[in-house]
Amino acid sequence: MRRALGSVAVCLLACAGAQAAVDAGPAAAPRLEFTPLQAGTYQLQAIQPVQDATLLDEHGHPVQLRALTRGKITLLTFFYSYCVDPLGCPFARETLGMLRDRILREGALAREVRFVAISCDPTTDTPNVLARYAQDVTGDSGFEWRFITARSVPALLPVLDDFGQDVSVDVDAQGRASRALHHMLKVFLIDPRGQVREIYSLAYLQPEVMLNDIGTLYLERHTSSSAR
Amino acid sequence: MRQSSQRAVVLASVLVCFGMALPSAFADETCNSPYISSLIKGQEDFVHVWTLGVEGLGDGSDKLVTIDANPASKNYGKVVDSKSVGRRGEAHHMGFTDDRKYLWAGGLDDSRIYVFDVGTDPSKPKLIRTIADLPAKTRFVGPHTFYALPGRMLIGNLSNTADKGGVTGMALYNNKGSLVTRYDMPTATIGGVKGDGYGYDVAVNPAKNVLLTSSFAGWQNYMRELGDVIKDPEAMKHFGGTMVVWNLKSMQPTQVLSVPGAPLEIRWSLAPGQNWAITATALTSKLWLIRQGEGGSWGASEVATIGNPAQVPLPVDISIAADGKGLWVNTFMDGTTHYFDLTDPEHPKETYHKKIGTQVNMISQSWDGKRVYTTSSLLAHWDKKGADNEQFLRAFNWDGHTLTPAFEVDFTKEHLGRPHHMKFTAKANQSRTLAALVR
Repeated sequence: MRRALGSVAVCLLACAGAQAAVDAGPAAAPRLEFTPLQAGTYQLQAIQPVQDATLLDEHGHPVQLRALTRGKITLLTFFYSYCVDPLGCPFARETLGMLRDRILREGALAREVRFVAISCDPTTDTPNVLARYAQDVTGDSGFEWRFITARSVPALLPVLDDFGQDVSVDVDAQGRASRALHHMLKVFLIDPRGQVREIYSLAYLQPEVMLNDIGTLYLERHTSSSAR
Repeated sequence: MRQSSQRAVVLASVLVCFGMALPSAFADETCNSPYISSLIKGQEDFVHVWTLGVEGLGDGSDKLVTIDANPASKNYGKVVDSKSVGRRGEAHHMGFTDDRKYLWAGGLDDSRIYVFDVGTDPSKPKLIRTIADLPAKTRFVGPHTFYALPGRMLIGNLSNTADKGGVTGMALYNNKGSLVTRYDMPTATIGGVKGDGYGYDVAVNPAKNVLLTSSFAGWQNYMRELGDVIKDPEAMKHFGGTMVVWNLKSMQPTQVLSVPGAPLEIRWSLAPGQNWAITATALTSKLWLIRQGEGGSWGASEVATIGNPAQVPLPVDISIAADGKGLWVNTFMDGTTHYFDLTDPEHPKETYHKKIGTQVNMISQSWDGKRVYTTSSLLAHWDKKGADNEQFLRAFNWDGHTLTPAFEVDFTKEHLGRPHHMKFTAKANQSRTLAALVR
């Protein structure tokens, strides 16, 4: 784990100069200068319910978002396969990869957690593209990490709107779309009933905290189950 | 449908090869929530001013006034838009949502919250939502600070529905405008200091997992004539004298700090390695430093005097430099802005001051610190009377030594009202939302 974190830090340092050139903001990896609270010692508020939508899975089959955000603890993010921003999708993927490894070591927890990544660019990120991408990212871990797309941009827009996920495209002087896609990195923690319970933007994307938040939802579920 | 599909195909054809995500930043220009994206590090295009309506002036209602602030524009220094909300409710502060596309603005009297779309066309903000359920759902009154968290807005309030005194709390809404939960300000003794339950500003340091809150006064005081409040010894007892350290994750108070004299705006220095925030106390005219000690707990200490406290200069707004090494402080009563060198935050040193007008309240600076904007109004009942009741936005250029006037807007002459809080936006020259491109 420490080695993995170290590799991320090295990557971020190496990429810092390039980042400064493309964005005016003082982009930086999240800092963790505190000891995270133990899982189960705090509450996560119900921020909003996830609305259902019909999307496409890695095999080109229609899939309901409801089915991907209920029944398990879900970490959901928006991405696109060709994103190269070191503090964008690749950073989220690296962070989620580390989390997945930690969760797999927890045994029982791994069966109750899934990751869902929805492409912001459904035409480029076809099911075939996503199937290859998924294989690269997830390997054969057996962990449920789904890569989802949509039939079209219009089919995707209600989902983006529901999550408040802004996506924009650079245009030229004539208003024609260029080749640059922007989105604010956010990862949504969703409980098994489909309620968003935490939202991590870059400043919040701290793996130790995320793991404890997942643990908090896990304990919440099992404590309430045993109470019944 | 076919047209939409065709546009989607066109769009898809360009979404290849290159992409970037806009990261959230650790500070805005320079005092916004650290979770807000899209910093304006260059020239801002517009200054939005949340303006209190004045009876008999224009339509008499609160309004969001937009002023062109780009020297390259033909409309530089002019009012380019004014959106009235159709009533007067003591317009006060505003805050962007995390994606910077919406501006939430509150009324301290009627507790209404207005949500303006400033992302689609910042030159013409559009009122898209009014939230009127704050008192009924939270029992809080007087939404003051609007502080973006990812996907939601944390609102620091000033008062309560029961007695309209200073005991209050915070409300958390999601970005769709639905209440998520409420938090009472502590009245218990925590860390040896008793909480007074008062509220005002909220400010987060994500790296420390710390939320700081400050304290002012309730509706009974801020909606009363200032002269009457000062002459009423009982009323003067009802000002906040504490700050609270919260665990941001659990939203539980971990320490109450004694900071007498109504600590108002809170500014974190978020430079890497820094572990402090600063505030100014309105009634005692002091700068206080809130700093984390060796053991991890937080302490508050008085570090500087602002003007002559005996004359009650009433420090109101402060604005910290992006590098945390300088601080503007406005003192309302003498209409003066002060610049403090914060290189050593334990010993701030005033290096410059300038009289801005008969009264001055808010101050905002650009990220590079080269442009400084001030407005005149504090509260409808606290502003000066007669000829001293100047109502303006005055913009300056700052070269590190002197403030040079850039432009000003006379809000009385323009029939606008009392200008209070300011926020900047920039035109989206280079990008369009996915939704706009598909339409």
